[in-house]
Amino acid sequence: MLSFAVEVRRALEQQGFQVVQTRQGNENPSFDDRSATANAQRGAVFVTLHISSTGLPGTARVYVNSDLAPIADSNGLLPWDRAQAPFLGLSRTFGDFVQGFLAQRFKGSPETAQTASVRQLRTTAAPAIAVEISSVTVDDRADLDRMAPGVADAIARGAAAFRPVYVVPRTPGAVL
Amino acid sequence: MTLRWKFLLVGGLIFIVLAAAIYFPILRRRVKRAAKLQQQSAEQARRELTQPIAINPGDPRVKSKLFWASDTIDSMLVPVTVELPLSNDPVLRSKQVLNTLLAGPVDAELRTLPPDALLLAFYLLPDGTAIADFSEALATSIPSGIASEQLAVNSITRTLEANVPQVQRLKILIHGQEVETLAGHLDLTGTFLVNTKPAQAPVQLVPTARGEDKPATPVPAPGALTPDKSPGKLAQPEHKP
Repeated sequence: MLSFAVEVRRALEQQGFQVVQTRQGNENPSFDDRSATANAQRGAVFVTLHISSTGLPGTARVYVNSDLAPIADSNGLLPWDRAQAPFLGLSRTFGDFVQGFLAQRFKGSPETAQTASVRQLRTTAAPAIAVEISSVTVDDRADLDRMAPGVADAIARGAAAFRPVYVVPRTPGAVL
Repeated sequence: MTLRWKFLLVGGLIFIVLAAAIYFPILRRRVKRAAKLQQQSAEQARRELTQPIAINPGDPRVKSKLFWASDTIDSMLVPVTVELPLSNDPVLRSKQVLNTLLAGPVDAELRTLPPDALLLAFYLLPDGTAIADFSEALATSIPSGIASEQLAVNSITRTLEANVPQVQRLKILIHGQEVETLAGHLDLTGTFLVNTKPAQAPVQLVPTARGEDKPATPVPAPGALTPDKSPGKLAQPEHKP
């Protein structure tokens, strides 16, 4: 997975984005730790990468979080456990951009982003997507490795297409 | 010792040896059988604790819809109509349909739940919130990934939606415990929406505008429905590991 992250990082940096990775090696930060890293950035988008155990090999899917309860707190603070709620619309737009580029590259992939209750996305206060590549069941690992540049390119192009839609308050950035 | 006594002694010894030779294999078989029976008893006890609810033949046979994976479209569910004698009691009915779902379709490739997963308990609260407690195998044997985990939960919620209108929300426990995710991806900390219209006729699968199955959606906490607001400052997490 880290080799995918390296490719994605390179592609995003080529598009002019600053990239922060939530892990560099085999450490295993918690969901909240990863969200904390993302939520500390301003004007960031969040991308979490996964390889599935099922699905049509050679395809890739983008997920955005399922609908969350709107924020009801009157103190103006964003509840940690539903931090994604105000960003769902932006996440969907970002996800659709990335999924569109993935569909062009990997035949059989959906045309638009899917929704799912992804734990990692729920506590992220930024436009956030999960990209899942199918699958570990490929006969040759090289088949998966060959997907990495295409996946990275689709994410970077999706982020670039999303940038004008996402009004960035300060420094643009991307979080992996 | 007289010759007569010697004969008696040797004869007795020969008798004992012969008797032992005959009896020993029988004894061994009996010991083996007893051990096997003991093993069966343990297995039987486990099954008695976890076995599916017996279908009462007196219950009316109902055409129920169970949701398994599609054999044509990747990561999609399709309803399969199965005629089952289902109880009118919503808890028993839920157990019956979920155990049938766990038993799997004819084509094992279309399973959405691991074959060794068990429904340990099922409760229905007065507000329509159901709690389904599954064995650990549901989390440990399911193929890891967002798609497969979402498909598993969707098959459960869709099946309940189609057959038990009293169930409005579903909370999934693993071996009696609340867990953060099913197998590393899908969020199990909340409840999943099952029926939006309580106690009505079974609801059909509603495709979304995107043409996909309606995903099981986490439900807002009661009393939390107010107009959406723009993002503000992040509050501290309540429970940080």
